[in-house]
Amino acid sequence: MTLKKMNQKGFVVNTIVLACLFFLLALLSNTGAGKGNFFRLVLTPSLWQCGYLIILATSLNMVLGFMGQLSLCHCAFMAIGAYTAALMSLAFQRAGVFKSPKGAVFILIMFLSILCGGLLAAAFGFIVGIPALRLKGDYLAIITLGFGMIIVNVINNLPFCGQNGLAEGSAGSSLYKNGLGFGMKTKVTYLWVAILLTILAVVMMFKYVRSKFGRAIQAIRDDEIAAAASGINTAHYKVLTFAYSAFFAGIAGGLYACANGSISTSSFAFTNGGILNSTFVVVMVVLGGMGSLTGSIVAAVLMFFVNYEIKNGAWVAMLPSGIQGIFKYPMLVYAFVLIVVILFRPKGIFGDYEFSLVHVREDLAKHRALKAQEKAEMKGV
Amino acid sequence: MKKKVLSVLLAGIMAFAMAACGSSGSGSSASSDSSGSDSSSSSSGDTIVIGSITPNTGGFATAGLACVNGMDLAVEEINAAGGINGKQVEMKHMDDQMDSTECLNAFNSLVADGVSCIVGSLASSNTSAITDAANEEETVLITPASTADSITTEDDYVFRACYADSFQGAIAAAYAKQQGYTDVGVVYCAADTYSKGLYDSFKTACEKYGINIAAEESVATMDVQDYTNQFTSMVNAGVEFVYAPFYYDSVGPYVIPQARAAGYTGIIMGEDGYDGTQGYVAEGTDLSVYNNVLWTNHFDPSGTEGKVPAFTKAYQDKFGEDPISYAALGYDCIYMLKQAMEKAGSEEASAVRDALADTSEVYDCVTGKFSLDETGTPVKGAVIIEFYADGDKISTKLKDTVDELPDS
Repeated sequence: MTLKKMNQKGFVVNTIVLACLFFLLALLSNTGAGKGNFFRLVLTPSLWQCGYLIILATSLNMVLGFMGQLSLCHCAFMAIGAYTAALMSLAFQRAGVFKSPKGAVFILIMFLSILCGGLLAAAFGFIVGIPALRLKGDYLAIITLGFGMIIVNVINNLPFCGQNGLAEGSAGSSLYKNGLGFGMKTKVTYLWVAILLTILAVVMMFKYVRSKFGRAIQAIRDDEIAAAASGINTAHYKVLTFAYSAFFAGIAGGLYACANGSISTSSFAFTNGGILNSTFVVVMVVLGGMGSLTGSIVAAVLMFFVNYEIKNGAWVAMLPSGIQGIFKYPMLVYAFVLIVVILFRPKGIFGDYEFSLVHVREDLAKHRALKAQEKAEMKGV
Repeated sequence: MKKKVLSVLLAGIMAFAMAACGSSGSGSSASSDSSGSDSSSSSSGDTIVIGSITPNTGGFATAGLACVNGMDLAVEEINAAGGINGKQVEMKHMDDQMDSTECLNAFNSLVADGVSCIVGSLASSNTSAITDAANEEETVLITPASTADSITTEDDYVFRACYADSFQGAIAAAYAKQQGYTDVGVVYCAADTYSKGLYDSFKTACEKYGINIAAEESVATMDVQDYTNQFTSMVNAGVEFVYAPFYYDSVGPYVIPQARAAGYTGIIMGEDGYDGTQGYVAEGTDLSVYNNVLWTNHFDPSGTEGKVPAFTKAYQDKFGEDPISYAALGYDCIYMLKQAMEKAGSEEASAVRDALADTSEVYDCVTGKFSLDETGTPVKGAVIIEFYADGDKISTKLKDTVDELPDS
């Protein structure tokens, strides 16, 4: 089989599986199973959160894993997306275009708001990227850290971003009104939106890193001088990728606005106690494997699951009280998970391996052969 | 390989040791948790499960844990006295880490477990994430300390035990008016919900009472450490009354000593965030600078009226420290629920809601004797507390009690 045929086969198989998964969940959410308490209160909100965490982690992986540039302001791009989507939909709602989250008009406005959130985030990514990407390593990390704080502080001081939104409110307050902000039942109804957008975003990022752009940024990661000498316009590719990545962070923000009734900048700031802050997204990428989009997906779901179970799992109450004490301080558990992974798999869970349904059997066989060879060599020595 | 296993083991031990240290500090609350851990299922049979959502870790943990202590104390007392409607009460505490998504997750898992009455959360930004959900899921939600005006509306499942922002700032203005100040100053933080909200209500009330705001200065964030310039301009404006809505962790070490060092000798007026300042005084500070500092609060822990002395004593005996207002508010929330459940004669969310929505019901609580208005906000007064240097420590005394705002 030629490489091209292999790729085509993989494309078809993966598309079919994803489509089946999508329709299964969409069906589930609109039939009897969707009415259950567990589905409505536990599974659906979890899927929404996993959706935006997956998009956020994979979008950072493009910059950090594939391009080798550390960005600490992805949550700020997400905040831009979230505020844009929330305020735009609110403006439509106030103008009377839709009253309740139902109907074709609403769906159109929802997608439009989320898309605009992404585009505005991309524009800011472009503006931030031009000066920031002239720097490298630690300096880049510091300047993106600064930009992240600047963006959050600017949002804090915009009078239309506070209280009841638009003209009704003062700066510095959380945004209590949101045109999207789905309730429990609406979240079930529109679960397909979260899943569709997550799949679309990940596919678009896959297409990007597999294209000539992707090869160019991987060349930049491996050796910037060599890449420039081979005729790659490094500044151009860096800024483009940064803006593309910020676009998806903005989309993740749009999903966040759908999943949360109120938005506050403290949720995107460094001091946020939950798993949604820029450093934690970096942790997800490192944990999953830098340079593996599927790894980021697994890590995002894993981190979400650990975080959710620590706080809400029924099994925690059954543990002896000494161990239960640790779970009162979730940050200790994250640190522990990270230490274990870094010690035993410094490359992250997936390294730079991409999981694919077509290749999984051959990859496993290859892996086993490699291990056997290593063992034989060890014996030989 | 051995080294790796060893280091993982060491990391595990370290995490365990830190957790053990941490939980020994709040050991009393841990023990009361475990008492009800074996029956984790919903409020079936002869127990009533009340859920709570508070920030128990993160930057606001002091307040969250105090609130948990207050609720545990109330539940212990109620159970000792025979429970509610003859049933024992059990608390299910959740942590929202001061984040709105975590808050919603905690709410969802409580509802999924069949809990019908929830106390929470503290910060307005977190509580507003679950108010719509509470209405949709028909779950009673009483918030101990979310003061944002928009939290409660008419005809809903959301109630609160504290006064709203628009009241607290106005009290300070009313006090200034009562004491005859015509020119006042404000130092606040424009980028913080709480500080800005109080500034807004103070300013509105000043306009109403005909008080002139002669000088106003803002700082960038709530954790700024230098307030000298702001207070120098207060001195230059010649004001003798400055409203400074900040939290205890900056008020104690920075705001007050620096204001006095800048030559400002007048009154510094604060809000309930000043509660806890006593523990944040820098070593070697001349304590006389804390004279002439007033702040509005939900209750006076050293008060002698109503339920306050009994509560303060029970709290001190159980936890070995003075109760802060969040503890009192958490305690009150449980008693409000108890009264509503007894009035309704059931623990059904809709019946409890109807009982709480009755505006004629009077609640005799630690933070005052009050009834709820149509939106579910208490109609109650506030106290004005004063700091004074008391030998080698700072003590508080009651300065004034404000039951309602004057009209002009």
